[in-house]
Amino acid sequence: MQAVSCARGNQNTLYQKSHVMGQKRSGMSKPEINKCLYPIFLSCIILGLFIFSFLSTAFSNQEGVTKQYKKAVQKMDRAGQVNAETQVPKNIVRVLDEDQGGHFFTEARKSEIKRFRCSSCHNDKMVSIQGAADLSHADIKVVHGGKEKPLSCNTCHSTEDRDFLTTGKDTRIDPDHVYQMCGQCHFRQKKDWIGGAHGKRIIFWSGERVVMNCTSCHNPHSPRFAERWPKTYSVPLK
Amino acid sequence: MDSKKKNTISRRAFLTGAVSAAVTGGALVTTGCKGKNLLESSEAFALEFQEYFKKHYRLMNEMEREKTVSRLERLSKQKQGITVDIDTTGPLENVLYGYAFNVTRCEGYMECVAACVRENNLDRRSNMQYIRIFEMEHGQMSPDQGDGKYFHMVPREGHFYMGVQCFHCDNPPCVKACPTKATWREPDGIVVVDYDWCIGCRYCMAACPYYGRRFNWNQPEIPKEEITKKQHYLGNRKRVRGMMEKCTFCIQRSRKGKLTACVEACPTGARVFGNLLDPDSEIRFVLENKKVYRLKEDLGTDPKFWYFID
Repeated sequence: MQAVSCARGNQNTLYQKSHVMGQKRSGMSKPEINKCLYPIFLSCIILGLFIFSFLSTAFSNQEGVTKQYKKAVQKMDRAGQVNAETQVPKNIVRVLDEDQGGHFFTEARKSEIKRFRCSSCHNDKMVSIQGAADLSHADIKVVHGGKEKPLSCNTCHSTEDRDFLTTGKDTRIDPDHVYQMCGQCHFRQKKDWIGGAHGKRIIFWSGERVVMNCTSCHNPHSPRFAERWPKTYSVPLK
Repeated sequence: MDSKKKNTISRRAFLTGAVSAAVTGGALVTTGCKGKNLLESSEAFALEFQEYFKKHYRLMNEMEREKTVSRLERLSKQKQGITVDIDTTGPLENVLYGYAFNVTRCEGYMECVAACVRENNLDRRSNMQYIRIFEMEHGQMSPDQGDGKYFHMVPREGHFYMGVQCFHCDNPPCVKACPTKATWREPDGIVVVDYDWCIGCRYCMAACPYYGRRFNWNQPEIPKEEITKKQHYLGNRKRVRGMMEKCTFCIQRSRKGKLTACVEACPTGARVFGNLLDPDSEIRFVLENKKVYRLKEDLGTDPKFWYFID
């Protein structure tokens, strides 16, 4: 009971106070109202500035490389990128697969094989010299396929048509399109090669895409890069 | 009144004379300090004298650029007997260069370093190199744990190799540190240095968190037959002692559509270079399909150089 009366008393006092304040406000003159509104105006302006700065940073160009390149989705004309000094290298073939931007090219390899055409020796006539393979192909060491499943010549080279390679499904493959051969086992590398994460382009980053073929870098008979001395050295920093 | 007027005129005349004398004298002294015979060639002297009064590269107009380029070409012909071709090709439209480095593929052959030294006319005496290759043990993450001065048969068992060079940050701290605005980010993303505007204070070197910049401690010495003659004003042209230089993504090559020297030299294909704004480019394929990371990404420098693993 006491508590209730107490609360009532408080209410009364509050009512009285507000009543008094209301009286005071109604008695105010105009310049006094302006004085009261100044801080409100100021805070409004500051808030506006804050919002403006937020928006300007959100929509400005200075937003990091990642966002910048993710926004760039418009396809570019590959051939149109070529300026006066970029010319498509010669001796290339069009790759039978397509990459993210359509067709692309790779180095032709047949002209690089020292004793091509193979059929000039491997023809209908029987080779009657003993140990002919050791005599004519002694430089070739096959270190490919590991110890469990070492490859032999005929794993890749066709026995019927000596100028071609042959897949596991007996499909003939031109040595210029050797990536089809390698891609049978090394399909991950082939996927990366088509996209551009494996291998490299030739001379130009712009213009028509021309990449190196598998056998431009890897020796197909022993594809692992050899251990060797570095070309140069760095001087110590400290 | 008369005497006062007379006095003013003589003072002005004196000042003009003093200024021109100071300029000539200063130029004479500085040219003399470089240890060259002044009377060797009056044309070379005149050209060198004019070179002192050129503007900042970004403030020059097309004609002024042409003039300074022709002066530099003539100077090179006069002094070293080498015909160089300095160009001032601007950034290409809609191009932002990006670079990716495959840490799984790199075998540490250092072919890229040698090619870079040769292409960019780097000083052979102090063995300056823009690229450093660190040999790191499996499990190490930061190149400062790696060995940057290895020289043995590579690749070594249980190690991988990580190349470091200028990362061409999109928010470059070196540019902010420069007191003379001698270094800036070009619209195609390459951070360049105006060698004639650099005062050699090395603030940028201290500001760079990647050790991407190099200081010329001596006059660069290059064998005459090894000088790359295709040059760019902001790239591999002749530098002098006491200024900063750095990797420019081979600006003389990349702006002509060519790959940088390091990418072209890499025997393993560990380096990928291309246009970030081209959705079909190799660099974009790497960024979208591979596991990539950048060095010290938390610093907010926003480098355009990614590392990736197969």
